[in-house]
Amino acid sequence: MVKIEDLRAEAQRLLKGGTVKYIIGYERPAGSWKANPVFLKNPEETDRLVWDPTCYHNLVRFLIDEKRRKAKSKEPDPRPVGVVVKGCDSRAVVVLLQEKFISRLDVYLIGVSCEASGVIDERKLERKLAGKKVRGVAFGPAGSFTVTTDDGTVEVPAAEVLADRCRDCIANVPVVSDHLLGDKTKRTVAKPFQAAEKVEAMAPDARWSFWEEQLGKCIRCYACRSACPMCYCDECVADSICYAVTPDTTAEEKAQKIKWVERSPVDSENFFYHFVRAIHLAGRCIDCGECERACPVGIPLRLLNKKLEKDAKELFGYDVGLDADQPALISCFRDDDPGDFIR
Amino acid sequence: MAEEFEPRIVAFLCKWCSSAGSDLAGVSRMEYPANVTPIQVMCSGSVSPLYIFSSFNRGADGVLVSGCHPGDCHYIKGNYYARRKLALTKNLLAYMGFEPARFQISWVSAAEGQKYTQIIKDFVRELKPLGPQTKLRRNGSW
Repeated sequence: MVKIEDLRAEAQRLLKGGTVKYIIGYERPAGSWKANPVFLKNPEETDRLVWDPTCYHNLVRFLIDEKRRKAKSKEPDPRPVGVVVKGCDSRAVVVLLQEKFISRLDVYLIGVSCEASGVIDERKLERKLAGKKVRGVAFGPAGSFTVTTDDGTVEVPAAEVLADRCRDCIANVPVVSDHLLGDKTKRTVAKPFQAAEKVEAMAPDARWSFWEEQLGKCIRCYACRSACPMCYCDECVADSICYAVTPDTTAEEKAQKIKWVERSPVDSENFFYHFVRAIHLAGRCIDCGECERACPVGIPLRLLNKKLEKDAKELFGYDVGLDADQPALISCFRDDDPGDFIR
Repeated sequence: MAEEFEPRIVAFLCKWCSSAGSDLAGVSRMEYPANVTPIQVMCSGSVSPLYIFSSFNRGADGVLVSGCHPGDCHYIKGNYYARRKLALTKNLLAYMGFEPARFQISWVSAAEGQKYTQIIKDFVRELKPLGPQTKLRRNGSW
């Protein structure tokens, strides 16, 4: 069991000693039962830190903003940033390290083990409680969750409210950390790709109608991109208005910016956008499921990401986000990669 | 009588092998269907999945990516990278329910003019029963 006192003590030690610039963790705002990301600078504030099943955010996303801030600042603070990471978040750090986006010295990782449990899916919980007001959620015995409502406390089995991503998770214990809290027993998952396999089993026409219905809902708010710790490009090929144009940009330079995909939320452009997003995450998506959680219209984006993770594993024997020293999936090859689809 | 459907194929041909192979087919006066719009690229490894999807988006009925045989790449290993990337692309397209037959990959060397014509003939023959590609095509009025 992760003891919250240990987490707070470690955060206090880091901030008091000045080892880190600040700490990114979770807090529970007054009146809310869900955790929020919090940035702590003062050692006195560390009592605000929490760890519960609603800590579903991937805080690694904030390291991208930190890198941008650092690049802009005239006198950057060389100290690392402390980040509270779950197993999935630590894999995101591994991918960023692998791509040399951040250096290992830029971060101090406080790993928390999800142990036999995981985080909850708030939508599932709200449906399960059917309108009852939640007061708090805590880890219960044997992977279940203890939910406190106005009517009292109930034990909810994990199968009913556990987030889908946690069901398929292969790293309940952080793969990289400087200070690890909680039980280090790794769990095994029999079918990590069960969601993608379900879609694969459909007939091609049914698959098309499924995706047409799902992607047809997309309103192109780019929340999936904003929530993703891997989407760190300054200019996104799928979004022509984020191209950097300054008064110095010449007409020639502007002409070279290709508008690959329109921003209109129509089927053809939605397919293009989601295809590009998925393929750009090939061998990089670590399945933290934040895109799916952030999606306001409920598109099952994880199904796309999982398919690429599955292909990476099955065709190329590539595990995403476990080893920071291996090259990226599409910047390496093996002589015996499958080529039977080529004429 | 309605005119027979003629598919439009966009072919990304690598400069060193496949493009030379298609040239050989041309100078040898070999006959093959005129449905292909060839685009010369420096290497099959330089073909981004974005190009393929964009071709379908702008109305291609089929896309062909062709490069040197493994081991023959002018840049030593470009086609090995291509093989990985295109395998992922092909699988993802099929996973979304798009007809996988519309996207083909082939290795054609500079000496294989005959093979190139055969690939185009087969591709056109396979595309005809599928009809025009409408799934990913963008609205024509844009």
